[in-house]
Amino acid sequence: MSDPRKAQEQEPTTHFGFQDVPESQKAEKVAEVFHSVAAKYDLMNDVLSGGLHRLWKRFTIELSGVRTGNRVLDIAGGTGDLTRKFSSIVGPTGQVVLADINDSMLKVGRDRLLDKGVAGNVQFVQADAEKLPFPDNHFDVVTIAFGLRNVTHKEDALRSMLRVLKPGGRLLVLEFSKPGNPLLAKVYDTYSFSFMPLAGKLITNDSESYRYLAESIRMHPDQETLKAMMVDAGFERVTYHNMTGGIVALHRGIKP
Amino acid sequence: MLITGLLAGVEAGLNRALRLDGTALPRLQALSGKVIAVQCQSPALELFILPSGDGLQLAAQWHAPADCTLTAPAASLLRLALSREKTAVLHRPEVSLDGDSAVLLQLAGILQDLELDWEYEISRWLGPVATTLLAGHLRSRVNLASHGAASLKQNLADYLAEESRTLVGQREADARFAELDQLKLALDRLEARIERLTSANKSDA
Repeated sequence: MSDPRKAQEQEPTTHFGFQDVPESQKAEKVAEVFHSVAAKYDLMNDVLSGGLHRLWKRFTIELSGVRTGNRVLDIAGGTGDLTRKFSSIVGPTGQVVLADINDSMLKVGRDRLLDKGVAGNVQFVQADAEKLPFPDNHFDVVTIAFGLRNVTHKEDALRSMLRVLKPGGRLLVLEFSKPGNPLLAKVYDTYSFSFMPLAGKLITNDSESYRYLAESIRMHPDQETLKAMMVDAGFERVTYHNMTGGIVALHRGIKP
Repeated sequence: MLITGLLAGVEAGLNRALRLDGTALPRLQALSGKVIAVQCQSPALELFILPSGDGLQLAAQWHAPADCTLTAPAASLLRLALSREKTAVLHRPEVSLDGDSAVLLQLAGILQDLELDWEYEISRWLGPVATTLLAGHLRSRVNLASHGAASLKQNLADYLAEESRTLVGQREADARFAELDQLKLALDRLEARIERLTSANKSDA
């Protein structure tokens, strides 16, 4: 008979912020974070980024090259910022799928989009980025904005995204990254570990989730590492654009 | 990123204005999915316009082919924006238009026909009673100002033409021009007559 404690000890670990946790527990812990912040997610995004997240997302849409009639998958779509814009661009002949592993975020996103009259060409799917429940060669564009760092097996997720993309389709990964300027990095560290948890405490009464946010950003691969991961997963012509001094980077790869 | 931010601000303002016209957004819906590229030559700038039922989306770059590309210097683009005779501006040699020009002309037409219901916007902030009072007051002021301006123009023209005699009056000028026209016609007739007599003399000789 196998000893469960021994089995747990043998299980590979992954990072959850600065902690090491068994791989099987990361998704659950990330889910707890997002259940906690879902209700005030948009407000916190505006407060913590000073509204800059809207510009980062705008830039993502500009680079996506989405056209009328395209099929778009917005993974970790959360409250639906990108989905809303994509829905308007692809029109009634296109389709946008807002996928999120977290049902609280998905509900907030769905309600918000419906309240704004976005319906008809949008579908909401609760899905794990590592095992996307879509056919091969199905989407023209796949985006994942501020979601990849929360995925346990990033390589599996990238391969899954490659699988569902049509040949010639584009993957856009918008994610926090590493600032290029050491001085900016220092200021950003102070901001992340002092102001972000404090703002989280004051607005959502949850400083831990925002401490996790800051820690998970530091544990996420930097620009070049993520680019190499995308190339390894099978993407071609992988490029990235630094925004706000490299605090955020947008990676773009094409399925051959 | 700065240009993206700037365009986001312009887009928000523009779409707010478009929402004040009840017909603009349904007309823009017909252009949904079209991409218009505007390339300014001096200074070198590029702007992409994507109309939809929600308004206009402005982008500094767009990684998909445009349906219509307008290339012109900044001065011509400004002239195009302000002129009512847009087709005349589009035919100028420094302006080039590639692709489906109907998309651009349709968009220009929608923007030109805008009739903003500013009273509705004010009523959202001040309420219907205050808006009616304010709108009535503003309207009477605008009427007074426009009548005042027209009256001032007329009085000034009368003074300069009739009283100070600094300028020739319009009617006086018209009469002089009519006399000159008559004189010119008479001269032409005389010239033709002389020519006829000269040729008759030559043939007799």
